[in-house]
Amino acid sequence: MERVKERAKVLEIKDLRVSFHTRRGVFKALRGVDLELYKGEVLGLAGESGSGKSTLGLAIMGLLPRNARVESGEVLLDGSKDVLKRLRDYGSRDVKFDPRKNEKLIKRLNKELREVRGRALAMVFQEPLTSLNPVLQVGYQIAEAVYYHDPMRLVRRAISRNRCTQADLRDLMTTLKTKGEEALIEEVEKRNLRGLEEQILSIWRRQDIHEAKKEKLILSLDKHKLDSKDRLGISIYLRGLQRVPVLGRLAKDALIKEGYRLAVEILTYLGIPHPEKVVRMYPHELSGGMRQRVVIGIAIVNNPEIVIMDEPTSALDVTIQAQILELVSSLKASSNRSFIFISHDLSVLAEVSDRIAIMYAGKIAEVGPVKVIFEEPQHPYTKMLMDAIPTMDKTELKAIPGSVPDMRSPPKGCSFSNRCPFVMPKCKEMEPPMVEVSEGHKVACFLVGERK
Amino acid sequence: MIGAFNLKKYFPVRGGVVGTQYLKAVDNVTLTVRRGEVVGVVGESGSGKSTLGRMLIRLLEPTGGEILFDAPEEEMVKYREALESGDKESAEMISRKYSLLRKKGSELRKLRTRMSMVFQDPYSSLDPRFRILDVIMEPMISTGYLRGEEARKKALDLLEEVGLPRAFGNRYPHELSGGQRQRVAIARALSTDPELVILDEPTSALDVSVQAQILNLLKEFRRRKNITMVLITHNIAVVSYMADRVAVMYSGRLMEIGDKDDVLTRPKHPYTMALISSVPRPRPGEARKRIVLKGDPPNLLSPPRGCVFHPRCPMAFHECGWTAEEVAEDINYLVQGKYYNVFGDNVKVIPLQDKVKVEGANPESIKKVLEVERENIRSLTAVKEVTEDSLLIIHAFQEPKLYKESERRSVSCLLYR
Amino acid sequence: MEERTEEGKYSNLILSLKVFFSNRTAVAGMVIFLAYVVDALIMQFDPRLLGVTNPNQFTYNFVNPVPQPPSSQYPLGTTYPGINLLQAILEAIRVDLGYSMLIVVGGAVIGAVVGILAAYVGGYLDELLMRFTDIFFSVPYLVLAIAVGFALGRSFTSMVIALIIVWWPIYARYTRSLTLSIKESVFVEAAKAAGASMVRIMFKHILPNTLPPVVVQISLDLGSVVGVFATLAFIGFIPNANTPELGYLASLGLNYVQSAPWTVIFPGLAITLFALSVNLMGDGLRDVIDPRRRS
Repeated sequence: MERVKERAKVLEIKDLRVSFHTRRGVFKALRGVDLELYKGEVLGLAGESGSGKSTLGLAIMGLLPRNARVESGEVLLDGSKDVLKRLRDYGSRDVKFDPRKNEKLIKRLNKELREVRGRALAMVFQEPLTSLNPVLQVGYQIAEAVYYHDPMRLVRRAISRNRCTQADLRDLMTTLKTKGEEALIEEVEKRNLRGLEEQILSIWRRQDIHEAKKEKLILSLDKHKLDSKDRLGISIYLRGLQRVPVLGRLAKDALIKEGYRLAVEILTYLGIPHPEKVVRMYPHELSGGMRQRVVIGIAIVNNPEIVIMDEPTSALDVTIQAQILELVSSLKASSNRSFIFISHDLSVLAEVSDRIAIMYAGKIAEVGPVKVIFEEPQHPYTKMLMDAIPTMDKTELKAIPGSVPDMRSPPKGCSFSNRCPFVMPKCKEMEPPMVEVSEGHKVACFLVGERK
Repeated sequence: MIGAFNLKKYFPVRGGVVGTQYLKAVDNVTLTVRRGEVVGVVGESGSGKSTLGRMLIRLLEPTGGEILFDAPEEEMVKYREALESGDKESAEMISRKYSLLRKKGSELRKLRTRMSMVFQDPYSSLDPRFRILDVIMEPMISTGYLRGEEARKKALDLLEEVGLPRAFGNRYPHELSGGQRQRVAIARALSTDPELVILDEPTSALDVSVQAQILNLLKEFRRRKNITMVLITHNIAVVSYMADRVAVMYSGRLMEIGDKDDVLTRPKHPYTMALISSVPRPRPGEARKRIVLKGDPPNLLSPPRGCVFHPRCPMAFHECGWTAEEVAEDINYLVQGKYYNVFGDNVKVIPLQDKVKVEGANPESIKKVLEVERENIRSLTAVKEVTEDSLLIIHAFQEPKLYKESERRSVSCLLYR
Repeated sequence: MEERTEEGKYSNLILSLKVFFSNRTAVAGMVIFLAYVVDALIMQFDPRLLGVTNPNQFTYNFVNPVPQPPSSQYPLGTTYPGINLLQAILEAIRVDLGYSMLIVVGGAVIGAVVGILAAYVGGYLDELLMRFTDIFFSVPYLVLAIAVGFALGRSFTSMVIALIIVWWPIYARYTRSLTLSIKESVFVEAAKAAGASMVRIMFKHILPNTLPPVVVQISLDLGSVVGVFATLAFIGFIPNANTPELGYLASLGLNYVQSAPWTVIFPGLAITLFALSVNLMGDGLRDVIDPRRRS
């Protein structure tokens, strides 16, 4: 467990409270959430509908709808960047909440966050069809994601490839083979060919082709020179004329074209067969699993530190779900990214997560390492949830009586008190504090506090 | 209780250059359900499980095949044998007596009291303009099972039986939560005291904690009233909890059927094996071998020839239905990628009719590659021989039938011929 | 057992009212519309409240038949022959409103039955009924109404029949499209599984579910029907020249339009205001049945 502590926090959420103002009343979706995300881990976020798990994901991304009021709390990226400051400043004020005012703030926030999203944060939604644009080719959508977040990357890629010579590639190839990837990156820097290394490495890291083929592909990188139109487009971009009509179009076209090459590399990386064909396809031509891979591709193309996945496999069949879970595990292994994996299905979370947070009625009920949560759950809700999930080897299911509370008027004290078999008088009076039972394992229940 | 024989449902898909095509949602499915038993039908989306369920109570008219309702077991067996031996006369005799498909008008309406269905989404399966009481009374009134005050009283009793207060009778569906609505839907399904209930994904729209309540409620009714159930779901854990027997469907066909414990713990069909191993389990860190299938389920408009599962099957072999195109694609992939050092740039792989032409390659090295890769890339098993001029001849294929693997177990896979 | 979403019995109604009243222009529309309705009801049941003795007839004043400009005695002036415009408009509203309602509701009922039949039964019947409505759609509605009206003779009844004939195809198409989507819903399937007959499914399940959008359509149409009804009267469809009707009232002042424009403007304004109000109200009602507006 020591290991967990040492790792750097990439995201910290402190006492986050968000409510939705609707015609049916004020729904308190998040009621004081504290959570950390460490570098390189998968944090599973479990909960039933209405537990606030999706709202939490959206809040971290700053993607809240206009009627969402951030009453208090912070979402700190890398320990400093306070994502929701603007909304909180308004939401915590003691005035009548006006969604129109809030909407303006959200718009401004979106502008600020555009740069952060993609680079630091990315999100994958449940229904891949709704997050893909049906009238654009998938390659275009991946390319555009890069174009908006890091257009210089596309410029570097194009220019470096255009400038490199056969001799350069031969030297780089030798460096790569004899001294490894680090040395290659240095060598590329030295030759002022930045942008070439990712193209070389994406070929080099492929598992499915023979070394000889890789070498041939790398050595033929210099054959893919820019044509005159693209050269023109890129030079327009470099002169900062991308906002000029017509000229801007040329610049964007050239960069998007480069983005298609990058899209092919990403799709190859994600294990999609025939990536050259797939980038020219439209979302409806792809199967559900493929679409979800494309969405994941868009999410990771800018190398974000944190990827939030909101029920990414819930709309998929089990055999396809298994493919995506495998993909997530391999993504985690091959990069030092952190993931927040939101799901209502505890079994899915058991397969992918390092740590799990169980949410109930807008609060974290229990959080801890995955093994501990499944083997020694402490919160009555977690325990009962484990008994209620049907699995292949259970002969008896113990249903949890009742249902989730109405979030317009959540019960006083512990929100699970009305369904809890161990309820005590004080549960109805006070909210139980988070108690750390063991390293990294925290529970919000008086039963646990009592024993301590 | 009910038996479906060679049941088919083809949906016409109009338009396009190719003219009308048929989407084979259910193709040649034979399934018998005994009185008092719960049969789980599992399959992924597009496997035809819901279509099958709807045909069983005649919400959809089958394109072909026969359904016998309330026939004694001997008659079912006889009918099946008659079909297999081509004895049309005795088959016709039995079907005239028990066929569900020949029932019309009032006869069918009467039969409707004996079977009912619970649908997946409790939010759309209740008419928003009906009061709860009217929802529950509808089957009784429509079929003339009970009328007026009697029906009302029965509906109120049912409300109590499914664990809702009687006062809910005057409410509208929108005033209820998902779990409560599903209880109402169950009450409706049970209102005419049916012997057969089709459950179409009864809990997949509900939260985990509510799901367990509903499953336990269904189990309770089954115990008390000895209702025969067909449980259609994609959730294998739910089937494992509820069912006595399990039928596994894939792309409109039955892959395997047998007792629950047999099928789920000792799956025979490669698809069932993969399906079961894909089910996530709440055992973190547990080491187990997961079979991750490649690719996606096939397009039902042009399903693969032979066994529909063969392109994804990790155990497929030469007779499973490989086509020249499938073989050529895999060989091309190897030649261009992994074995690039052997073949170089000048190799061309051309699929022909049941043959694959590999231009510019030496037959010996092709043989070597086939030898090595056969285990992983199953399509290569279909290559019968490599001729002198590098022509790859493809094996003939066989269509799998439902083979009896043991007394109570049938598998549709050539491995069990 | 479960305590969730125990919303009060009237929660849906309250929500609907909230949505409606949050749309200010719709409320304004409704206020004007209600004023018309109240006026019509008073004229029907107790016209003396507004100082009218016989709402079925204009009160002529042949002593001074030439139109007079608005004054304290005649707030909206008079029209030929010496009719008090304000009083005449108040009387005429009853006739226009009543007949228009009759036309729209009549058209909606016929259209709904045809539309539901066509969509639910489908096949040849659908084809037949829809081609039949196409015929009505292909003729400009005013021309069609005039043709039917002349064939049936000049009377209020024939005007109503003519306009119902013009109006039902719109509703037939509308309910057909609504039915096509409703008939695919799971609750219709559930009703089939319950053994419900086709008639029961059509009129117990589908019809009530098509009603809210049809009612919205009715309120939106009311304005144009009043307009068309008045137009027909204006061009001389009115059989009994003494009946208070807005279009006819406007036509009375036509000869004086240059010297006394108010004789045409005020009846016209009464029609326009009505059309505007029902349209605004209809927009508000549309919000009420729109699930997105309800959250």
